[in-house]
Amino acid sequence: MPVIVCPSCDLAHRAGPEPASERTRCARCLASLQRPENGSIDTAIALSIVALVLFLLSNAYPLVAIYSNGSTRAATLIGAALGLYRQDHTGLAALVFITTVVGPFLQIAALLYLLIPLRRKRRAPGQNTVFRLLAQVRPWTFVEVFMLGALVALVRLAAFTQVVPGIALWSCALLMLTLAALTSRTSPGQFWRWVERSRA
Amino acid sequence: MTLSTGRSLGLLVCMQCHATVRALQVPHPRCPRCDAHLFQRKPHSLALTAALLVCAAVLYVPANLLPVMHTRTIFDDEKDTIMSGVLVLLHSGSWPIAVLVFIASIVVPLLKIIALSVVLFSAWRRSPRYRTQRSELFRMVEFIGRWSMLDVYAISLLVALVQIRSLAYVAVGWGALAFAAVVVLTLFAARTFDERLLWEPPP
Repeated sequence: MPVIVCPSCDLAHRAGPEPASERTRCARCLASLQRPENGSIDTAIALSIVALVLFLLSNAYPLVAIYSNGSTRAATLIGAALGLYRQDHTGLAALVFITTVVGPFLQIAALLYLLIPLRRKRRAPGQNTVFRLLAQVRPWTFVEVFMLGALVALVRLAAFTQVVPGIALWSCALLMLTLAALTSRTSPGQFWRWVERSRA
Repeated sequence: MTLSTGRSLGLLVCMQCHATVRALQVPHPRCPRCDAHLFQRKPHSLALTAALLVCAAVLYVPANLLPVMHTRTIFDDEKDTIMSGVLVLLHSGSWPIAVLVFIASIVVPLLKIIALSVVLFSAWRRSPRYRTQRSELFRMVEFIGRWSMLDVYAISLLVALVQIRSLAYVAVGWGALAFAAVVVLTLFAARTFDERLLWEPPP
């Protein structure tokens, strides 16, 4: 009889022979234990490609532009981190850069690197190392928080000047939704189910 | 009734891939599925979380008192703390945004420090009461913690945009660094804390 131990409270549970058909929770601490099958590997790869395109768009175009006295100034995603760096706040710049640019990129790249070979029943070289990197990077992807921060900045600026939302603002909002869908479909449990199936 | 735990059955859970693994008596066991290091409990969890939490609580003071942003125009030189930024938003008529910033920047970090202290204290005391609630409180803290970064991002965009040399200029204040440090320290404090310590049998 296979046993599942709750990662949140160490309680041992008996697992049925079949994969769970609905989300199960720990009997003691109510943490989620197993998630059901959630979409195919093809859906996950498609979502990763969409996320990659949106990520590139978000970095190629300005997020917002302001007009004042005939001059224009636009800011990009990287520009936000660069502005802090230019004012000698290297630590803050690194934090913003890692959570808005490096984090999302590593997450999308790692998923594509892992899932594309897996679809053909192969394993990417260094699969386990990349998986652990992905697990470490995931909590540091703050695209949704950045979006709300951008909204706050827009509202504050709109009181003084004319503010124009750029293409990257829209692609960033879509990236936020795509990443949310992608994360829920590529949980560690789901990923290892795909790996085990590729062995069979 | 005694419940079987991973510890009593000699089983370990991989913190990275959540595989349940038979504990082997070797010096540094690794997960057979993903090669991550395996621990019965996260090493030095209580001490690390306590240290990070104390640092965060100390930095919460300058984060709220020091200016996070200087706005220089030809007319004046304004210093904004987090709270005065909220008031500016309130006076400019966008109260939903003001409430949002107030909750994300002032209420959430404070609640996070208090909640983590409560959880840490009860894990240390091995208090047998309200364990499920404390477990859920901890998971809520983990979930909402990231939203405090909101103001840091807003400031970074303002700094990048408002650089019209002679007319207006926005500079980052040291409060922003203290504030970001509070957010990062509490995120790390939540990561080093081992939830399973809330469920240890009382001494």
